Amino acid sequence: MSGWRPALNRLREWLHPAAVERELDEELRAHVELMTDDLVAQGMAPDAARRHAAMRLGGLDQAKERTRDVRGLAALATAWRDVRYALRWLRRAPGFAAVTIATLTLGIGVNVAIFTLVDAVVLRPLAYPDASRVMAIWEVDTGPRTPGARMTVAPGNLGDYRLADVFSAVAGWAIRARSIGGGEPEAVQAEEVTPEYFETLGVAPALGRAFTADDADAGGSRVALLSHGLWQRRFASDAAVLGRRIILDGQPHVIVGVMPPGFTSPGDLVAAARTAVWVPAVYPPELLANRGDHEIRVLARLLPGITVDQARTRLGAVSEALAEQYPDTNRDVRAALQPLGDDIVRDVRQPLVVLLALVALILTIACVNVANLLLARGVARRREMAVRFALGASRARVVTALVTECLVLATLAAVGGTLLAAWVTNLLIATAPATLPRLADVSLDGRVLAYTALVAVATGLLFGMIPAWQASHSRPIDALAGTGRAVATPAVMRWRATLIVAQLALSAFLLVWAGLMVKSLVRLNSVPLGFDPTNVVAAQMVLPETRYPTPAARLQFFEAVTARLREVPGVRAIGFANALPMRGAWSSGFRIDGLPPPESGFLQAAFQAVSVGYFDALGMSLEDGRLLRDEDADGTEPVAVVSRLFERRYLNGDSAIGRTLRRAPTAPAIRIVGVIADVRREGRASTLEPQVYLPAAQIAIYPVRLAHLAVRVDSAAALPVVPALRTIVEGIDAEQPLSQVRTLDEILYGASADRRFRAVLFAMFAVLAVALASIGTYGVVAFVVSQRTPEIGVRLAMGATTWHIYRWLLTRLVVLVLGGVVLGLIAARGLGRYVEGLLFQVTLNDAASYAGAALMLLAVGVGACIVAGRQATRIDPTTALRYE
Amino acid sequence: MSPRTDLLQGTLALMVLKTLETMGPQHGYGLARRIEQVSGDALTLNHGTLYPALVKLEHEGWIRARWGLSDNNRRAKFYAITPRGLKQLHAEEARWSRVTHLVGRFLKPVGDAS
Repeated sequence: MSGWRPALNRLREWLHPAAVERELDEELRAHVELMTDDLVAQGMAPDAARRHAAMRLGGLDQAKERTRDVRGLAALATAWRDVRYALRWLRRAPGFAAVTIATLTLGIGVNVAIFTLVDAVVLRPLAYPDASRVMAIWEVDTGPRTPGARMTVAPGNLGDYRLADVFSAVAGWAIRARSIGGGEPEAVQAEEVTPEYFETLGVAPALGRAFTADDADAGGSRVALLSHGLWQRRFASDAAVLGRRIILDGQPHVIVGVMPPGFTSPGDLVAAARTAVWVPAVYPPELLANRGDHEIRVLARLLPGITVDQARTRLGAVSEALAEQYPDTNRDVRAALQPLGDDIVRDVRQPLVVLLALVALILTIACVNVANLLLARGVARRREMAVRFALGASRARVVTALVTECLVLATLAAVGGTLLAAWVTNLLIATAPATLPRLADVSLDGRVLAYTALVAVATGLLFGMIPAWQASHSRPIDALAGTGRAVATPAVMRWRATLIVAQLALSAFLLVWAGLMVKSLVRLNSVPLGFDPTNVVAAQMVLPETRYPTPAARLQFFEAVTARLREVPGVRAIGFANALPMRGAWSSGFRIDGLPPPESGFLQAAFQAVSVGYFDALGMSLEDGRLLRDEDADGTEPVAVVSRLFERRYLNGDSAIGRTLRRAPTAPAIRIVGVIADVRREGRASTLEPQVYLPAAQIAIYPVRLAHLAVRVDSAAALPVVPALRTIVEGIDAEQPLSQVRTLDEILYGASADRRFRAVLFAMFAVLAVALASIGTYGVVAFVVSQRTPEIGVRLAMGATTWHIYRWLLTRLVVLVLGGVVLGLIAARGLGRYVEGLLFQVTLNDAASYAGAALMLLAVGVGACIVAGRQATRIDPTTALRYE
Repeated sequence: MSPRTDLLQGTLALMVLKTLETMGPQHGYGLARRIEQVSGDALTLNHGTLYPALVKLEHEGWIRARWGLSDNNRRAKFYAITPRGLKQLHAEEARWSRVTHLVGRFLKPVGDAS
């Protein structure tokens, strides 16, 4: 009862120092008053009495000061003594310290890592003033064809949304590519924005001005705003940049402003790249008139006092009115809105929150395991507790000391956990798919450190309470007499058994899923691509129509580049095309002459215009007929090379060579001259589709925009061909930038990022779960051993061998291990449908994954018995018996 | 300078506990006055040293404080001994008498040991 009061007092002193101070002041004043009353009663004059009383106190302030000192020092001294004692205690039991700190380090480390990710991506508000009032607006297809599909907004509708009377500003914006000319050409991400963009976000340029309505006028002069980064990079942070010109897509634009350094645009949030320039969006009258043309994204800022729901209702009403007014385009279109912050993370919020819950669960398990280890040690410390009590320590003092020990453990683990988290966070960022927004914001900052501290204190209290309570309730007399038993009622033992089963089940579950994911990844990497991505550099060159208005002009540019590249040492083959693998494809309809047209009217295949060198550059192998030749140009017979699947699917396995196909009934016939290996265009996980390759030189039959170049070099040593390529392109057209310069290997690696990220995450969790389950299992066995030390001693004295002891421990554990593993395997299979879609060429019944998980955990169980058993058998029988 | 007997470390705490045991709950001034009276005014306390001692005793859980009214209706903080304080007092009393007994034997002339 009264044992807790001092602790409460102490707590109050910590929490309300001002109140305590006030009280002391009042108390000392009362002292002076009381004494003055006495002295006056004895006949002293009131003034003199008061002076005398103050003097006897040694001065009011001095007395206060002295009391304050005691208060602060006492609390501090006790806490420091406890910390020092805890550290000494850990040094005395290094094995125990290592295991508990490692357990907590793992638990805290992954928690902090995942929190860092979740905080940056989901929790942290966007860096705009009053960011919760910035909304994203989009349009939803309510029609029968794609019900519920999300669409970008038709610019024509924008004006009507402004009239909804719930927004202070509504802005249209879109991400577009621009090439910067003049000097080193460069392809950058640009945003085309309406003038309200800046007001909506609540951000003004750091230098110069935002766009005005005049800027957005189609007849107005061209202007641009620069990002802070671009300003530093290309204009050397020159403050006199305003009024100068920047060449964008060949057109000079007057620079009217520079955005602030930390500004993160909506484009930065949704795209992997960062926006470098902003230009006014110009919506021509014909676009505004056609409300069926969904082209732009929309931001809006709520008026003060308007809630999201009110805005939603008003916007819905506007949509209804538009549907009435423009049934042709708007009948099945409804506007929807959501806070921008929520909108950006709509696809990732749930998985990330689940992830956070999972790591919280793991940390809880870690805490429980450490609590178990502490309980096991509690038995060994019975005497120590008893001595402390016997020496007059209060229950509160002992509990405070024990909790301090746990906080010391948790603090040490938090330091380790932070280091681990830094490493894991880097690993996560490195493997995270580019589709994860706001990755640039991920950092171990003050918020994360505060979270770590919170987690550390919470865990310390969580795992420290139970053992502290138990230890503080042991009766000194029992412990000193050596007959005290730690709390091990059947209920406690049952609870502990349940916990072990649950941990092993979770481990088995995660191990099976991790096994399936990793196996999927391995299988995926062994899928033949149909082309050889090694030592191939790909680059994109988007030729603007202003300078390359005709297909012939574009062909000429690419042929010139190819001719000069051939001279560069190390270059083995060069191909160009309208698309490369991993970079899009066009599916077109066609018919094969002599075959009845299908019901739909046309057959479908992925068409591509490619140069003669394309097949060599990508390392594709010819299977029948011939490849394209230089002679296949305009004026000669149109030809095509088709894929093996084309032949199989559309010609029933008959040879395709010599057949003719047409892209329209009246279009010229294209003769098939070769059959080439199938290519998985969208990466290894994609399905094959029939493919048709047309010569880029036969512009008349397929006048698409050439844009991509692939250069195969002899060896990795020759991969730095890029500077040469830049020089060549610059020599032909100084205004033309290269973009997306990357090796095909890199692109493919990026394409499987999602899958790899999942495999890494699951593997990480599985390893963690197994580590914790090992420690947990060991903890329980160790507890059994500590409980049964006398019994083990007797057994050893009676001639039992080490092996007998192991077996005895194993039989006590085997049911738990088997139970946990079986439950975990059943859960993994039962919940399998949630991951089935993520697997690749691996079924949910993959025996190896289940067997592997089971074996690993059985090994954990046996290992725990051996480690704990070894400690038990090292007990000297006589010592063990003396315990009794 | 007033004739002052320096207090041995810890003796003030003991006096406070004993006073509270015999007199019941007291405020700080009451304690100071009582201690001086009992010493036959041989002891002139610096009243300011009393309060740190009271804080220490409260921290140990030997006394507890409560606000109340004095005889002449002034609000003051009253201290009372707790059961654990009593235990501590009795242990200290026993120790004290053992120590004084022992020290006394040393200080008395040889042969007059009783």
